[in-house]
Amino acid sequence: MTNAVTCEGLWKTYQRHRPVGVKTLLLGASPPADTRFAREWALAEVGFEVPYGRSFGVIGANGSGKTTLLSILLGTVQEDRGRVGLNGDVASLLELGAGFHGDLSGRENVFLYGSILGMRLAGIRQRFEQIAEFSELEGAIEQPLRTYSAGMVARLGFSTIIHSAADILLIDEVLAVGDARFQAKCHQALREFRARGGTLVIVSHNMKEVTEVCDEGICLDLGRVVDAGPMAGVAARYQERMAAVTPAKGESRAGR
Amino acid sequence: MPGVERSPRQLAEFLYLLTRQELKARYKGRVLGYVWALAHTFALAFVYWIAFKIIIGLDVTNYSVYLVAGMFPWVWLSMGVTGATRSFVVNAPLIKEMGLAHAILPLASVMQEMAHFVLVLPALIAWVVLPGGYEPAVSWLWQIPLLLVLQLGFVYPIALGCAVANAYVRDIEYLLGIGFPLLFFATPMVYPISIVPEPLLQYFELNPLHTLMQSWRSVFMEGALDPAQLAYVAGWAVALGAVAWALYRKLAPRVGEVV
Repeated sequence: MTNAVTCEGLWKTYQRHRPVGVKTLLLGASPPADTRFAREWALAEVGFEVPYGRSFGVIGANGSGKTTLLSILLGTVQEDRGRVGLNGDVASLLELGAGFHGDLSGRENVFLYGSILGMRLAGIRQRFEQIAEFSELEGAIEQPLRTYSAGMVARLGFSTIIHSAADILLIDEVLAVGDARFQAKCHQALREFRARGGTLVIVSHNMKEVTEVCDEGICLDLGRVVDAGPMAGVAARYQERMAAVTPAKGESRAGR
Repeated sequence: MPGVERSPRQLAEFLYLLTRQELKARYKGRVLGYVWALAHTFALAFVYWIAFKIIIGLDVTNYSVYLVAGMFPWVWLSMGVTGATRSFVVNAPLIKEMGLAHAILPLASVMQEMAHFVLVLPALIAWVVLPGGYEPAVSWLWQIPLLLVLQLGFVYPIALGCAVANAYVRDIEYLLGIGFPLLFFATPMVYPISIVPEPLLQYFELNPLHTLMQSWRSVFMEGALDPAQLAYVAGWAVALGAVAWALYRKLAPRVGEVV
């Protein structure tokens, strides 16, 4: 068992589980009008392995299944078929401000969020100074979170998660809102995290970032793995394909 | 649970933080914070007092104490269940992104209302003792905590069941909005059970909500607790707990996809 993350033959469909109202119960569901995102499989036959201490990138167009894949790794969405194996504690930074409360101060939010990430109170107290210092938000830490900008929320979230005890981090896009200097600081922190044996799975549309941070990766298209290998190659080929599909011709994607 | 390993201690700490922060957030920016928790229920009790005592002329000894001693626990019950029912939907980001132990969320809602009730207790006791004229009893020291635990055990299964069901069928929260006022008047809360007509009486006596509220009133007004009544409510709590847990086990794994 040298892999931190293992996925084998993952299949997932969303068709069967939707919130229903009485109207739907009585009259039956009407078929969705837009068929582009309502395909049969959200993920089809997805498989990959990430060894300890490595960084893995997942790229692809909107709706290609990236977030579904992370949610399955996290366990909040269940796979229909296939096997997921994770060795270690998992924490995620999937949505900006998830787990934060606008009326509470930055300090109170660090405690709540740290606890959500599985940290013990004593541990959060011990690391609080480090977290505040890393985020560079000491001046605003007692202010309610609703007064923070998106970039400040991202700073607080990242600072907390990087100081948590997780062995595997799942990160979805959120670093994009930080300024260039803080992004560089995050990348440095992620390198140190991996040097300690931590494992990363990152979803991003920023090819420069994934190429810089990730060793290997996959590219998803309509739920299928269309490319895999060293990150730089996967990202370059993805950009070529994207450039080839100009917006005018892009409409043909829908009918495919 | 997916995500991180959580020890019972860590979960307890998380529950504590969640409950405390919710309470804090609720009172932030409100000058009268605590007073609002009292004002609503006392104002309602005043309306019932006018309507039933003054206008209809209902004959109940110490009617204002009878009303208030039942209404505050009722607020905990109804607000706790209502809040818990929305807890999965409101906290959708948490559930989707954190792989969180779901059952904690409705528990935090119920605990928050329980904390509220405990904060209000001094005012309730003051009402019972001062205008009511009842002697504070030493036995309250164990009777009140016992009832607190019993009511928590009774309310939480209802809250958990409603919360998972509401994740799939959002109508539950509206149903509760109608259901609780109906239940309030179907339970002897503003009238004594003694005036319920004979053919209906047997059904009214089966209502565990009546038994629970009656226990609260009898503690405050008589300093007494009937073990048979406690056992009846505890039995309901166990039965509801079994149903709610089965429902939760079956429905919880997909909650992350439907909220």
